[in-house]
Amino acid sequence: MMTEKRHSFWRDVAKYRTLLIMISPAVLLVLLFSYIPMAGIVIAFKQFNYTGGVFGSPWAGFDNFKFFFQSGDAWRVTRNTALYNIGFMVLGNLLQIAAAVLLFEVGGKWFRKIIQSALFLPYFISWVVVGSIAYNFFSYDVGAINNVLASLGMERIDIYNTPAYWPYILVFFHTWKLLGYGTVMYLAAITSIDTEMYEAAEMDGANVFQRIMKVTIPNLIPTFIILALLAVGNIFRGDFGMFYNVIGNNGMLFSATDVIDTFVFRLLMNTNDFGMSSAAGVYQSVLGFVTILAVNYAVRKYDKDRALF
Amino acid sequence: MMKKKKKLGLVLTGVLAASMVLSACGQSNNGANNGAAANGSGSDDGGAANNQAANDAIDTSKAVNLKMVMLGPKPADYDQVFGEINKQLKEKVNATIDAEFLDWSDWGQKYPLKFAAGEDFDLIYTSNWANYNDQSNKGGFLELTDDMLAKYMPQTWAAMPKVKWDQARVNGKVYMVPQNQSKEFTDKLILYRGDLLEKYKLQPIDSPETYQAYLEAVAKNEKGMTPYGLEASDTKMHNLDKQLLLQKNNWFSVGDTSLAFKVDDAKGQVFSIYDTPEFKDLLTYYKSLADNGGWSRNALTNKGDTTGDFKAGKVASMSHNVTALGGILAEVDKTHPEWKATLADLTPDSHKSAAISTQNGIAIHATSKEPERAMMVLDLLQNDKSLHDLIMYGIAGTNYEPVGDDKFTKTDKYGNFNSFSNWAWNSPLNRVDTTYPQAAQDVEKKWAAQVFHYPLETFVFDNSKVLNEVTNVGNVMMRYGVPLEYGLVPDTAKGLETLQKQLKAAGIDKIKTELQSQIDAFLAKQG
Repeated sequence: MMTEKRHSFWRDVAKYRTLLIMISPAVLLVLLFSYIPMAGIVIAFKQFNYTGGVFGSPWAGFDNFKFFFQSGDAWRVTRNTALYNIGFMVLGNLLQIAAAVLLFEVGGKWFRKIIQSALFLPYFISWVVVGSIAYNFFSYDVGAINNVLASLGMERIDIYNTPAYWPYILVFFHTWKLLGYGTVMYLAAITSIDTEMYEAAEMDGANVFQRIMKVTIPNLIPTFIILALLAVGNIFRGDFGMFYNVIGNNGMLFSATDVIDTFVFRLLMNTNDFGMSSAAGVYQSVLGFVTILAVNYAVRKYDKDRALF
Repeated sequence: MMKKKKKLGLVLTGVLAASMVLSACGQSNNGANNGAAANGSGSDDGGAANNQAANDAIDTSKAVNLKMVMLGPKPADYDQVFGEINKQLKEKVNATIDAEFLDWSDWGQKYPLKFAAGEDFDLIYTSNWANYNDQSNKGGFLELTDDMLAKYMPQTWAAMPKVKWDQARVNGKVYMVPQNQSKEFTDKLILYRGDLLEKYKLQPIDSPETYQAYLEAVAKNEKGMTPYGLEASDTKMHNLDKQLLLQKNNWFSVGDTSLAFKVDDAKGQVFSIYDTPEFKDLLTYYKSLADNGGWSRNALTNKGDTTGDFKAGKVASMSHNVTALGGILAEVDKTHPEWKATLADLTPDSHKSAAISTQNGIAIHATSKEPERAMMVLDLLQNDKSLHDLIMYGIAGTNYEPVGDDKFTKTDKYGNFNSFSNWAWNSPLNRVDTTYPQAAQDVEKKWAAQVFHYPLETFVFDNSKVLNEVTNVGNVMMRYGVPLEYGLVPDTAKGLETLQKQLKAAGIDKIKTELQSQIDAFLAKQG
C-alpha cells in the first residue's frame, strides 16, 4: 500500500513536471510570505525582548491580549470595522457592477475609454492626499462646503466635530476611490460572456433591460461571489491608510470612526510593544478566519461549485 | 479515498518542509545571539585586560567603516560634508562613517524596527523622547562602563560633568553618550505679533489673562487669521497645558499619563491632573477661548503647518520652546520687521527646567562589532574642534561662516546640511549663531537664573508592569480629554465627569499606585 502510494505520487510529479515548475514560483512566494511569517504569531504570546528574540523571549500567555479587552472598546471597534467593511463591500460592488454594465452598453470606444480612465484615476490618489482633499471640503472655517453655505447666508456646519456625518463620508470616499478598479474587473467579466447569448436574446426580442437582467447580471454572479468571499476574509481589517489619514487623532469622531487598526495604533503608538501589536493582529486574523469558513460553508450549502474551497 | 490520501501526503510534505525551514531559521537566530553574547563578553574581557595595561596605545591598524543612524531628512550636502569628516576620521582613528537618516515623518515606526530586525549598525541617535529608556530596557543598546569610557573616550570623559552621566543611567547603567551642554530649557513660551497688540491697545502679554485678551481681540477683528496655531494635533493634552498648567503650577507630568507631582514637593506625591481645581479652572478658560474663536474649530484635525502659517501672517500666535521660537523670530524679523514679533513667557515667576543630558545623545548598538572604534569616533565628534564644527555646522564658507572661535553666521546653504539630529554632539565647543535674536538670549539668561533642580529630575517611570493601563489611559485622554480641553464638548462639567469616570475604568489608580511606589523607592535610594 505504502509503496504503491509513493510510487503514484512520484509518477504524478513526473507526469505534471512542466505544470509543477510553472506553479512553483507562486507556491514559493506564498510559502515565503504567508506561511513562514505565521511562525511570528508566537510573538503575541511572548514578552518580547531583543536578547531573546522571537523564539527565545519568555512566554506571557494571554497577557498581551488584555489591553485590548480591558479598554471596554473592543466590541465597539470590532463592530465598527465589520460594519464599515460590509458597507464598502455592498455599496462598492453594486456601483461597480452598475458602472460596468452601463459602460458596456454605451457605444463608442473612445467615450468608454475616457470614462473608464476617469473612474480609475482616484485609485491612484494616496489616502494622504484624500485626507487633505476632505479637509479642504469639510473644514469649518476654510472648507469649500462651509464657504458655499456661508455665502448663501446659511449656518456653517461643524462637520469635523459631528460623528454622525462620518460613516457616510467614509463610505463615499472609499467607494469613489475603488469604483474604477472594480469596474474594470467586472467589465472584463462581461466581455468574456459568450456573445451568442446576446445574439440569442436579441433574436427572442429582448430589449436592453431584459438583456441586462437576464444575461449580463446572472453571468456576473460568480465573479461577484468570489470577490465577496475574498473581501469577507478581510472584514475585520480596517483600512488603516484611509481611517488614519481622513480622521487622524480627532477624539470627537472616535465613537463613529474607530476601527480595530486605528484603535490599536493609537493605544500602542508610544509603547512600541511588539507582543501587544501582534496580539491585535492575531485577534483580527482569527476572526477573519472564522468568518471566511462560515461564509464559505454557507455558499457551499447554496451552490457547491461557487465556494472557494 | 486514494485521492484524498494523496492530497494529505502532499500537505504533510509541505508542512514538513516548512517546519524544517523554520527550525533552520530558529537555529541560525540562536547562532547570531550566541555570537553577539560572545562578542559582548569578549569586549568585557578586553576591557579588563586593558585595565592592566592602560597605557598601551589602542590598536587602530584595521580600517573600520561604522554605520550610523540619525533622525531627520538626509542633508543635501551629505556627500561633501561627510566626505570631509571621513577624511579626518580616517587620519585620526582609521575609521569612516556611513550615515542613514530616518525622516521625521516615520522615524517613530522605523526606529524600533531597526532593532527588531537585527539590522547591522553601530551608532544610533537616541534621547529621552526617542526610545532611550525603552531600548535600554529591551537590550538594544550596549552598556558603556566607566572603564570603557575612560579608555576610548578620554576627551569626553574629561569634559563631561559626572552628573550628566548619572542623568543618563537606566537602572544604574549608562547606555548613551549624552550631549554636553547646559543651556537648553524644556519650558515653553509664546511668540506673538507686537503690531496687533498695539493696534488693539492691549497690555503686554505676561500672563494667561493678558494672552486671552490678545487672542480674543484677534479673533474678533482679524478675519481670516487664526489667533492661536497648534504645535501638534496628535497630543494627549492641550498644547497650552504645558504652560498654563504644568509650568504655572510647577508640576511635572510623568510619561504619557495624566499623573503629575509638584517639583518642589520633597515627597513627590503623585496626583491626577484632571482631579485638580486648577484643571477645572483652566477648562473654563479654554471653553471661553474656544467659544470666542481663540483657535480653529478643526483644531483636532489640524492639517496646517503652524510655523509656515505664522510666517505667512495667517496665525497670530504660537507656542514652542525658546530655541525654536528664537529661530522663527529671527526669520520673521528679517521678512516682516513691521510685525514686531515678540516672545512672551506666560508664567514669568515659575521654576524653570533645564533639559537633562539625555535630551540628545548617541548610543552604540548592542550587536555592534566595533564598539571601541565607535566610541573613539564619538569622542572626536564631540570634542575635536574641527570635526565638531563639521558635524554641527557643515563646511566653513559653504554652509556657515565662522565668526571668531565661538560664533557663526548662517549662509543660504546652512539648511543643506543642518537638517538632522546632530544635536547629539552639543558640547562647549558649540558656536553661537550671531543672528540668534537678542530677545531669545534675554529669555535664556533670565531663565538660567530661575532653573530649579529637584531630586526627581532624572526619575524615569518604568511602565512595564502597568502597560495595559497606560495604553488605555492614553486612549481615554485622547478621546475624552483633548476634545474637552479644546472646548468642543458643550457641557464642560459633564465632560469632566465622563473623563474622570473613563479614566477610573481605564485603571488610572493602578498606575498611580505603581508610580508612587517607584518614586518612593527612587527617593529612598537618593536620600
